[in-house]
Amino acid sequence: MRTEPAGGVVGLLPPERITVAYPLTMTNEFGGIVVEGVARSFGSVQAIRDIDFEAPPGEVTALIGPNGSGKTTLMLIMASLLAPDLGTVRVAGFDPATQPAEVRSRVGWMPDTLGVWDSLTAREVLRTLGALYGLSPADCSRRADELLLTVRLTEFGRQPARVLSRGQQQRLSLARALIHDPQVLLLDEPASGLDPGSRVELRTLLRSLAAQGKTVVVSSHVLSELDEIADRAVFVNRGQSVKTQTLDEAGSQARRYYVQAQPMSALAEALRSYGVRFETRGDSRREEFLVQLGSTAEASWLLRTLVMSDVVVTAFAPAGGALEETYMSLDTDRL
Amino acid sequence: MSTLTEPSMPQPVRRATELRFLTAVRTVFALEMKQRLRGKGWYWMLGTWFVVIAFIFVLATGLLGTTDNEGGILFDLIVGFVLFFGLLVSPGLSANAVNGDRAGGTLAILQVTLLTPGQLLMGKWLASWVGSLAFLIVSSPFIFWALALGGVSAQEALVSLLMLALELAVVCALGVGISALANRPLFSIVSTYMLVALLAIGTLIVFGLSTMLVMERHIMTVSSYSYPEGSFDSMGVPEEGAELECLTHTYESEVPRTEYITWILAANPFVVVADAVPYSTEGLPDESASASPQAAYLTDGPYYTPGVMETISQGVRSAQAGPDFEQTCEESQQALRPLPQGMPIWPLGLGIQVALAAGLLLLARRKLTMPARRLAQGTRIA
Repeated sequence: MRTEPAGGVVGLLPPERITVAYPLTMTNEFGGIVVEGVARSFGSVQAIRDIDFEAPPGEVTALIGPNGSGKTTLMLIMASLLAPDLGTVRVAGFDPATQPAEVRSRVGWMPDTLGVWDSLTAREVLRTLGALYGLSPADCSRRADELLLTVRLTEFGRQPARVLSRGQQQRLSLARALIHDPQVLLLDEPASGLDPGSRVELRTLLRSLAAQGKTVVVSSHVLSELDEIADRAVFVNRGQSVKTQTLDEAGSQARRYYVQAQPMSALAEALRSYGVRFETRGDSRREEFLVQLGSTAEASWLLRTLVMSDVVVTAFAPAGGALEETYMSLDTDRL
Repeated sequence: MSTLTEPSMPQPVRRATELRFLTAVRTVFALEMKQRLRGKGWYWMLGTWFVVIAFIFVLATGLLGTTDNEGGILFDLIVGFVLFFGLLVSPGLSANAVNGDRAGGTLAILQVTLLTPGQLLMGKWLASWVGSLAFLIVSSPFIFWALALGGVSAQEALVSLLMLALELAVVCALGVGISALANRPLFSIVSTYMLVALLAIGTLIVFGLSTMLVMERHIMTVSSYSYPEGSFDSMGVPEEGAELECLTHTYESEVPRTEYITWILAANPFVVVADAVPYSTEGLPDESASASPQAAYLTDGPYYTPGVMETISQGVRSAQAGPDFEQTCEESQQALRPLPQGMPIWPLGLGIQVALAAGLLLLARRKLTMPARRLAQGTRIA
């Protein structure tokens, strides 16, 4: 399920960046994002108290947190739209507060709101934005056509944007963020409104962008989605960064599995005899048991053991994604 | 999935960190115009405008059929009317330029590009100005019609239209500036209307009230021609052969010294346009025609009949001149003669308007400069 670690990506970086062979998650002034001790308040509301955040180039970093935890505010700060009250921010090596033009030319930002110029065609939107990033008219047209193809909107290229469905507008918004081939991508809830097919495509696209050495930051609530896209995750809550973890770490942590068997009584008996503690899952229609297992090795041992002792196991799977497990284990307030 | 995916392409895009000013302004302008041209609202407004102005024009033509200076009066009327309607339409076209985008979620998308706030405002202003000028162009059939009737010099026509265009530009700049400063489109449109009303009507009211402050007691000497007493018959008609004589009487009166407060009117858009236009006075009875007292009563040549805007111009000039403490008999004969321009007042007015617009645009530019340090309560960037 997990894809590659990002080590091999170094060789794909543009030549000027391969001066040093970076360790896996190295971020320096040439790429990636480093946020340290950032705080920002709006009047009396402290949107961000203290966030540390790091997104290395060549990886997809997930920004995870409940509603109102400061994700979008952090995105706005990194996109050079909002100045932090405290702390330092480096995006692709530049400070968004003092060198916004440098940052903007290197950052693609996809907001969580859909801003649509109703009467413009998809192609015109992309060409206009390209021009506003300083692309030549020829480059604008070429990039627009490429990106329409990438997000499968070519057939809508000549239609006004108002005929697009929400998911299609979301894809147009993604294409817009990519128009100037940015080194850093900031995507705020990119998967919301997408159908399953488009989600798979988004995943593939983001993986290939990361493989090109770009820094990709994704905020989302769909944790199972992020499991498959992200290399690392930063959890924020109440304006503070709570935990940073790579997906490898998340995968190897203790997690819960649910087990079903035919009949369940045989399973209960077997589990008891091996001293495995279990509970009956309460939030599901079917009857199933939840067991807490320390590692994937332990899980495979239990499955093998159960099968060997002639328990008819009909289902054996992680109860949630790795990130969901971390998310639930954190002391978060869910509003 | 393999790590060694080919990079899809070498870095194809040369990274710029600033835009050429003209390219940026043109892009924003094109973005705005495309939206306007593809919407229905603007065409409806243009159509309504055409119908209303045609109605006024036809009505005026019917009423003025027998007057001298018909072309001049009609042209003046159209100019005044286009200015009046322009003041109503331009705020509608300009005052939601920026916060409309903010409400639609597209402003932040523009702000995150290399576009600077100055370029954004410039493009928006140009687009709303051109949108307003279209109303002037729709009125052109009537303008040409009035010109074809004669009586308007090319200079007068050209300056009138130029000043109209300038006034629309000023109002659009006010609207765009306010639209960046106010959070809601409704609020900014109303604010722009209030500001325009302050200029067009407020100045007049303040001027009117201020006359109370500049009242002075002064001895007035007024002379006028009259028939001597005793030369009237029982019906009150002067006898044949009676000579007019110049009678003078003196009295003390409170008079407003309007020359001190005329500057208040300067920023009025109507005054700016009217004061700038060099109205021709050709074909009017000249001084010599009224040299003899009787001539003034007898002349049946062209009378001086100013149009709407020219009347405004004359009003301002007489206010500038102030009260006449000593009216001679010759002057009493010239009541219907145009006053010559003394000190032109329109440069002051236009200066005030431009300074106001520039100030608003500078504040707007500051407000649109990102990253934002302060946000108004209840606003979201995106």
